[in-house]
Amino acid sequence: MSSESPRLVQRYLRAQRFIHWIGVASFLTLLFSGIALLFPPLSFLAAGGLSRLMHQIAAIPFVALPLVYAVLLPRQTKELLIESFTYAREDWEWFKHMPAYMLGRTRGLPPQGRLNAGQKLHHAGTFLMFGTVAVSGFVLWVGKGRLGANGLACTAMVHDLAMLGLSVLMIGHVYFTFLYDAFSAMRTGFVTEEYARMEHAKWLAALPSEGFAFAPDASKSAEGSEGDTKSAAE
Amino acid sequence: MAVRYAISIDLDRCIGCQACAVACQTGNELPAGDSFITVSDTVQSRGGGLWGSFVHHRCFHCDAAACVTVCPTGALAKQNGLTVIEPEKCTACGYCTDACPFDVPHIRDNRVSKCTACLGARGRIVPVPDARAGLLLRDGQEPWCVETCPSQALRFGERERLLAEAKSRVAALRSRYPNAAVYGETPLGGLGLLMILLDRPDAYGLPAKPVVPSTLTVWQDVVQPAASGLSALAAAAMGLMFIVARRQHAREKAEIAEETPVGGQDHE
Repeated sequence: MSSESPRLVQRYLRAQRFIHWIGVASFLTLLFSGIALLFPPLSFLAAGGLSRLMHQIAAIPFVALPLVYAVLLPRQTKELLIESFTYAREDWEWFKHMPAYMLGRTRGLPPQGRLNAGQKLHHAGTFLMFGTVAVSGFVLWVGKGRLGANGLACTAMVHDLAMLGLSVLMIGHVYFTFLYDAFSAMRTGFVTEEYARMEHAKWLAALPSEGFAFAPDASKSAEGSEGDTKSAAE
Repeated sequence: MAVRYAISIDLDRCIGCQACAVACQTGNELPAGDSFITVSDTVQSRGGGLWGSFVHHRCFHCDAAACVTVCPTGALAKQNGLTVIEPEKCTACGYCTDACPFDVPHIRDNRVSKCTACLGARGRIVPVPDARAGLLLRDGQEPWCVETCPSQALRFGERERLLAEAKSRVAALRSRYPNAAVYGETPLGGLGLLMILLDRPDAYGLPAKPVVPSTLTVWQDVVQPAASGLSALAAAAMGLMFIVARRQHAREKAEIAEETPVGGQDHE
């Protein structure tokens, strides 16, 4: 693959990546400490209350993250929310190509902006499920012993199903990340220009020229420098 | 099938002395403020006069016990018709406190707390020959409440026998109490605590037909397995698809590389 472009484009700021990874840690902690209650062979993890404690501890950063994000990066938050819920014609066009895209083909995809239609849908779904899982979790936590059998069952079902939704979204998210080698976006903040051209051509084209292409030593590839944050993630 | 045991309470014989509650609390070494049994009384006006009775609130040992259904760790389990506890398994999630139709289990010191018919910590019944009850429990005796009751209102033994006895008691009581009945013969798979009531259940604050709402069953038997099963399925499907998609993607990248003239990599 000698044609791989050495040029890198910044996708995420340090703060965005930090919040993302705190989110990953708290989400996975919540997921597995929760699964301990659903999956009988794992129930030994729940005995004694260890998983419950972990669940409650992890719930706090998990719920606080969007707030922290909104405070630290108000512009990006607004942008993300608007983008996630706005679908133009090329997005619908993109969805038509989604089956092929899932199988590794980007040919024929309409050029996409900073977020492609799938990412928009992913984010929109995540926002909604996040709200659902947080509210139902809060009710289960605070309402313990006062919900009654019906209240407990209904709240827990909502909680379980929202978490099913989030898990499937996460699996898809990880899938596309590794299918299209986008992991460096969250590791170093940068992606290769080649990736950006395949997946976010419109965004790439619109980047200011001094910011879009950061070209560190090609041999270091995406690993090296953090880069200064004035560049492209905005 | 394992023998089903039960406790029965004859409210005609109960004298409301609280001996059962005290014996339970001392015998089980419950911390101050915790109890498995409360005995209170109710007085109601009936047709110009007064009607009163004692009211026992304690675990009914339902056969289809909601607390056991929702317990995620198996800390609550059924054994010989009784609902037992393995406290070291309890995570104090509190599901049982919400699920119980009789509002019985509670969380004390991060563990579920309720009557276990005085079975040991591991909840194992040790059957030994005994003329009275057909089995012995802790140290070869009956539950503390049964053993202590001074008026023989409480009994312990094989459920079938206790039920038959309770029915004949009721038949005898009907002349004085036309509404007398055995509470707990059939609901929720049959209760492991049979009560001889002298009036309709609602007079004692008991539900006439205790039920476990079907949402609870749907949650446990449909939603929970679906949530974990579908997540696992999605992960497996994506894993398989990844292999195919990765190949296609590599092929496409090679195609693009071939089409792009060397040096034509510049932006735009």
